[in-house]
Amino acid sequence: MTKDELFKKCVEILHETFDLPEDRIKPESRLYEDLDIDSIDAVDLIVRMKPVVGKRMAPEAFKSVRSVQDVVDALHTLIHSDAP
Amino acid sequence: MGKRLDRAWRIVATGFCFFVFGLGGLVLGLFCVPVLLLFFRDPRRRLRASRFIVHHFFRFFIGLMNFVGVISYELTGMEKLQRPGLLILANHPSLIDVIFIISLIPQSGCVVKSALARNPFTRGPVHAAGYITNDAGLAMVEDCRVHLAGHETIVIFPEGTRTPLNGEIDLQRGAANVAIRCHQAITPVSIRQSPRGLAKGQKWYQVPPAPMHFVIRVHDDLQVDPFSDGGAPEPLAVRRLNAHLKSFFEQESGRAAS
Repeated sequence: MTKDELFKKCVEILHETFDLPEDRIKPESRLYEDLDIDSIDAVDLIVRMKPVVGKRMAPEAFKSVRSVQDVVDALHTLIHSDAP
Repeated sequence: MGKRLDRAWRIVATGFCFFVFGLGGLVLGLFCVPVLLLFFRDPRRRLRASRFIVHHFFRFFIGLMNFVGVISYELTGMEKLQRPGLLILANHPSLIDVIFIISLIPQSGCVVKSALARNPFTRGPVHAAGYITNDAGLAMVEDCRVHLAGHETIVIFPEGTRTPLNGEIDLQRGAANVAIRCHQAITPVSIRQSPRGLAKGQKWYQVPPAPMHFVIRVHDDLQVDPFSDGGAPEPLAVRRLNAHLKSFFEQESGRAAS
C-alpha cells in the first residue's frame, strides 16, 4: 500500500470512528489539538488500523505520533518491516 | 458594618474549617491508615473501614461548614443513592464538591486528580479510601470497570477540574468512556451553587458576599446504551453522550437561568 492509499484509509477510519468531517482531516492535522482525539481514542484507532496493515501497532509507537501524516508514516514503516 | 463583620467572620470560619480539614487529613494518613492495617488483614474489609471513616470525616466537615455559617444546603433525591454499584457523575462548581458528595454516600470510590494522591493533607484519605487517580487514560476506565463489577459506587466529576466562573461546562471524555465501555447507567447529580465561591482561581479567603448555598439534586438514572444506537463505534457514542451531559449539566447547574 502506498502512503497515499494509507492516508485515504486513515481519513475513512477517522470519519467512521469519530464522526469527523472528511474535509477537516489533512495530513498535517494534529490528532490531539486539531481533531480532539485523546489517549483513550488512540487505543481504538490502533485496533481499527490493525485490519488495514495486518499487524498491530505498538501503543508505544503511537505515543510519538502527533499528526495524521505521522500515523501514515508509522503504518507504512510497519507494513514494510519484517517484524510479525 | 454588619455586612463587613459577617464577611470577616466567614473568612475566619473558612480558614478554620480548612485548618481542621488539613489536620484531619494528616491524622488520617499518618495515624488511621497504619492502625487500620493493624486491625484489618482482609484488604476489602480494610477498604470498607477506611471509606466509612472518610465518609464520616467528610460529613463532619460539611456539618462544620454549615454550623459556622459558611455554607447552607438543600438535598433532594438522596434515596436514589442508597443502591450499590452506581456511576455517579456530578458537575463541579466548587472546591468542596467531592467532600459534599462523599459525605452523602457511606461507601464510595471516587476518581480524583492524581495531585491529590501526593498532597500531604489529602493523600491520607485518597489512599485509605482506594480512590482512582485520573491520569491514566484507558487504565482509569479499567480501574472503574473493576470497581463497578464489584458493585462499588464510583463518583466522577467529568469536568476534571472546577467549572470556571462564567459557568461554562467543558467535559473531559473520561467519565463518558467509563459509562459507554462498561455499559453502566449514569446517576447524574447536579450541584447548583449560589453565590459562587471556592471556585477555580479563587483563593479560600475570597469569600462571596453571602454564605454559599448549595442545592444538590440526585436525578433519575440515565441509560447509556441508546447512545450506541445504529451500531455507533464507542468513541462516537462517547461523544454523543458527552454532548448530552454537557447540556444537562449546564441547565441543571443554573447557567441557563443566570
